[in-house]
Amino acid sequence: MTTLPLMESALLSAVSRAKSESLALIEPASRPLIPERPLESGEQYRFHFDMRKCIGCKCCVVACNEQNGNPAELNWRRVGEVEGGHYPFTQRHYLSMGCNHCLEPSCLIGCPVEAYTKDPNTGVVLHSADTCIGCQYCTWNCSYGVPQYNAQRGVVGKCDLCHNRLSDGMAPACVAACPEGAIAVEIVNIAEWRRDYLPANAPGLPSADDSISTTRITLPDNLSPDTGRVDLHRVALEHPHWPLVFMLVLTQLCVGAFAVLWLLDRLGRASLNLAAFASLGLAGASLAASSLHLGRPIYAWRALKGLRRSWLSREVLTLSLFAGAAAAFAGMLLLDLPGRGAAGLITTLAGIAGIMCSARIYTVRARPAWFRAYTPAEFYSTALLLGPLFVELVNGGVPLWVRIAAIAGASVQLLTQLLKFLWLSRSEAFELRASSLLLSGRLRDLFVTRLVLLPGVGVALSLAATRGWILAAAFAASLIGEWLGRYLFFVSVVPKNIAAGFASSERKAA
Amino acid sequence: MNWKRTLGLDNLSKEYAFARSEATGYVSAQKIPDYWVPTTCGYCSVGCGIEIGVKNGRAVASRPHAAHPVNRGKLCPKGLSEHYILESENRAKYPLLRKNGKLARVEWEEALTVMVERFHATQAKYGAESLGVLSTGQLVTEEFYALGKLVQLGFGTNNYDGNTTLCMASAVSGYKISFGSDGPPGTYEDLEHADVILLIGANLADNHPILCQYLEANRHKTLIVADPRVSKTAMMADLHLALKPRSDLALLNGIAHLLIRYKLIDRDYVERHTAGFAELERFLEKYTPDRVAEITGISQEALFKVALLYGRAKAGFIGWTMGVNHSTLGTATVNAICNLALLTGHIGRAGAAPMSITGQCNAMGTREAGFTSGLPGYRKFDSARDRAELAALWDVDESRLPRKRGLAYPDIVEAAVAKRIRALWIIATNPLVSYPNQDVLQHGLSNLEFLVVQDGYHPTPTTELADLVLPAAIWGEKEGTYTNSERRVSKVNKAVEPPGDARADFDIFLAVAEKLGRRDELYPGWRTPEDAFNEWRRVSRGRLCDYSGISYSLLAEHGAVPWPLPEGSHPNGNSRLYSDGVFQTSDGRAKFICADWAPFPEQPGGKYPFVLNTGRTVEHWHTRTKTAEVPILERLSPRAWLEMNPRDARRLGLRSHDAVDVVSRRGRVEGVELRLTEIIAPGQVFMPFHFAETNVNEVTQDAFDPISREPNYKQCAVRVERSLANARSGANA
Repeated sequence: MTTLPLMESALLSAVSRAKSESLALIEPASRPLIPERPLESGEQYRFHFDMRKCIGCKCCVVACNEQNGNPAELNWRRVGEVEGGHYPFTQRHYLSMGCNHCLEPSCLIGCPVEAYTKDPNTGVVLHSADTCIGCQYCTWNCSYGVPQYNAQRGVVGKCDLCHNRLSDGMAPACVAACPEGAIAVEIVNIAEWRRDYLPANAPGLPSADDSISTTRITLPDNLSPDTGRVDLHRVALEHPHWPLVFMLVLTQLCVGAFAVLWLLDRLGRASLNLAAFASLGLAGASLAASSLHLGRPIYAWRALKGLRRSWLSREVLTLSLFAGAAAAFAGMLLLDLPGRGAAGLITTLAGIAGIMCSARIYTVRARPAWFRAYTPAEFYSTALLLGPLFVELVNGGVPLWVRIAAIAGASVQLLTQLLKFLWLSRSEAFELRASSLLLSGRLRDLFVTRLVLLPGVGVALSLAATRGWILAAAFAASLIGEWLGRYLFFVSVVPKNIAAGFASSERKAA
Repeated sequence: MNWKRTLGLDNLSKEYAFARSEATGYVSAQKIPDYWVPTTCGYCSVGCGIEIGVKNGRAVASRPHAAHPVNRGKLCPKGLSEHYILESENRAKYPLLRKNGKLARVEWEEALTVMVERFHATQAKYGAESLGVLSTGQLVTEEFYALGKLVQLGFGTNNYDGNTTLCMASAVSGYKISFGSDGPPGTYEDLEHADVILLIGANLADNHPILCQYLEANRHKTLIVADPRVSKTAMMADLHLALKPRSDLALLNGIAHLLIRYKLIDRDYVERHTAGFAELERFLEKYTPDRVAEITGISQEALFKVALLYGRAKAGFIGWTMGVNHSTLGTATVNAICNLALLTGHIGRAGAAPMSITGQCNAMGTREAGFTSGLPGYRKFDSARDRAELAALWDVDESRLPRKRGLAYPDIVEAAVAKRIRALWIIATNPLVSYPNQDVLQHGLSNLEFLVVQDGYHPTPTTELADLVLPAAIWGEKEGTYTNSERRVSKVNKAVEPPGDARADFDIFLAVAEKLGRRDELYPGWRTPEDAFNEWRRVSRGRLCDYSGISYSLLAEHGAVPWPLPEGSHPNGNSRLYSDGVFQTSDGRAKFICADWAPFPEQPGGKYPFVLNTGRTVEHWHTRTKTAEVPILERLSPRAWLEMNPRDARRLGLRSHDAVDVVSRRGRVEGVELRLTEIIAPGQVFMPFHFAETNVNEVTQDAFDPISREPNYKQCAVRVERSLANARSGANA
């Protein structure tokens, strides 16, 4: 033993020091995986995830799917990967996430039918598949991508913390399946957590500020500061939601049209009937068509239930009011009844409110590219561009200011789009930059077409439209341009989400 | 889609209903079976206890067998979804015979008649040894035992080997040379008892995740992981040795050098139980720390650290898998591992073992009972006594037992290329994905006059080439035993009927013997796998792998038990080999082997600047014939990828998700998705081998260990270039 090299003691103590440091931080091995006592008031259940223990085996994902009888495409629990540092001092870690059972669940706040409840006893964010109408608004609202739409069923589904197992004293499927004991359910004091929820944040996760996630994450020591998602280099296009593309543009058109009609009527313009009924028809058709977006269209009426919280409910209400008022206004125009000035005003105001409600649906934190005034600006510009053009096309013989309004609409829209793109492309945030890269990359041709249609066709043709067919072409081009714009609006948004694996099919190759 | 669903009146609430049952708790109602069938997982050799849930005759659920000693109530993602492999569309359901170039459905009678006729005709024309057989590690031990007799005694050819040669052969050869016999000495529990654990070329977190819970349970260990990649397992380590590819033998010799130099060895153990120390000491002189640091890229400091930790450990454990075995120096490297254990006496005690962690569910079964690289019961071909003993047990003339091993797997392929093997029977393996350098294999197979492929799945790349496809029952559809890495024998049970006309391999072997007119001689009175097992117990009696105390009824009563279990002894559930320091050599002493390091055969440079490493991912099993049929596993790991360090990619102008081609002197893999990551060293690339669609074995090298004949899968020289078919690269956001 005397012949040991001098560095021996230094070496061994270095190893054992590292060892004891890490051991000291490791929680007791016997720590229970589910709570051993009932909840007291002011407390709720939540997940604890220990990133130090997770080996990325994905047992939790498979167990969750088996537990809930879900098809492979839906994963209420997902495992993402993060990486940092440089070889050979690379750090790779995994993030296993179900629902975070947030203190301010954005899914719940947005739901128009009150399909979500935050269980008063357990704090679990529950979703009722029987109440759900499949509007998917919650899937846009959650920063973690937790609620997932099951197209086969026409409803959304999500992790419910296996609370029915928990109440039987059994661990949730993910907890029970984890070979490393990395996932646990524990009790959290709600008030304390609201004061300090920093442990809900981790590399690869959106900020817990959005909804105050309750999941506590234990991070490895000395995590490399550049640790981040490994799935950032490929972004899939989001779903286009075709019924919504059509519905949004057409309702906005109709709002613009009725505003113009009301003003024209006020100014004493006669024989507006054709345009009024054409606009009314469009409004009715587009509102009816929008129910096709629902997984369960028969229950569309339920969407009025959530007025207290949901912008979707409010949109349904205001646009229904708009349609009702528009019908009254059109009828009064036809019968030349007095007092239609008030009806027209109500129609216009309801329409303006309706567009605002539409826009508020999309201005959610979980979808940063929508979470700006650009969204209402884009929607109102559509109304301003298409409404006047439509009235002129159908009715003919309108004053110049109508044409000027349309040109103003096209110009504001163009400005909105350019400023938005500039904002996206200069952003540091991944989701915004990725959105701009989609527009300048995979979606470039469509995006350029959209921009060219606005000044080139919307403005130039409108200016030049001395004949009916040119005006018709101007209107058609503008309408197509707006539809294209709304399509790009939906597909180019990059939602916040938890980190995914590098090769998971969740984010498909384009 | 029905109109109620379209309107939304129906939201499939019945299909998505939940229910409670005592056995499952609150769970999706469709996952509550009528009953559970206990069995053993059919993927890897960890050997987890699993239960198959059967509902209306269909397998609807898998769950860990709570009482099984191995997996402690856990399963990996493959095990948790194992029932999906049974109902795949791609199951082989009927015997198919190639007629006019096309595979056509035939009855078993015709299939087996043609098979035996064609084999006999080939053997009559070219000699008995022109028939080759390639089997597997996937069958039950009873089937391996039956197949060995059928091939060697029934067909009279010893050109019989298994895909275990692509997998664990180097461990087998290494054990035989160092300890006198195959047989992994340790147990999984040693992972809990060891205070120092060295894992070499073993990515347990991806490949044997259930063993990680033994590591997790051991709070006092120092875990050292030697792997050129920052694998998931390397992330678990206290000390990661990011060594250069295939420098492990130099590392081991360097550690041994330091152990001897600083007297960290167990003199007493060395003197009493080993032979060859003096030679080893002289041989190791050249493995000085500076030289080893140079070869391995590991700092001298880290080298000293490892030597001190292992030398001073109370119980040192060395585990290894394919990083060691898949090498032209595989056997030598295993010997060097055994050297370390012998020098320090880290063997035969709780926590102390050199331990190969096997690949396939029953690779151990074929090693023990299978008649490929040895006679059944770890008997040696070249031992007259062993042959005489076996001949007496079987009551056959000793002259019918081969005196030497026949051709090993790669040599069977080469013999097919050279037209010395003219007919081949491939059983439960898929070489058209798994064999290195596919060109040579395809050339060999195209030379055959008759190719029989017996498999649970069709089409596979291999069955598509067959002249005759025999549909086999798979895991969940038949009975027998598997033996896992720690020698634990675990019962395999039938839960559901095989599809169509598929039959258990056991029944196929019996039927072939019947056609040969040899059934009574080979399988006297056999009807069920248990009959084979009972004969195997007699044959293994008194051997290192003594099964004589293990019976189906004992397994039913005690659960899985490890061998050796001589008749009359009590299954204590925990047995280590060589606890007495007596080895299976003629003098009972283990041998120190002087195993010299050399660079791997195909060094990078010139047109092929990268070292290509290959391996697995946790979601898939081998050539994916099974796991590609499990939707959730495909979802989690849908395609192959190539790992490259960003520094290399910058130089090549490549980006993550680009489609690239991997090109070697032997071939090209097209359109692999590039992953830029710091988990791989500059100058190296890594690719998983599971994917037939982008098959890494188009480029791997057919260089083999001279002793074990195991391929050098883990290193070859390649270049990476943008795929010509890469029209999509601009699609990256």
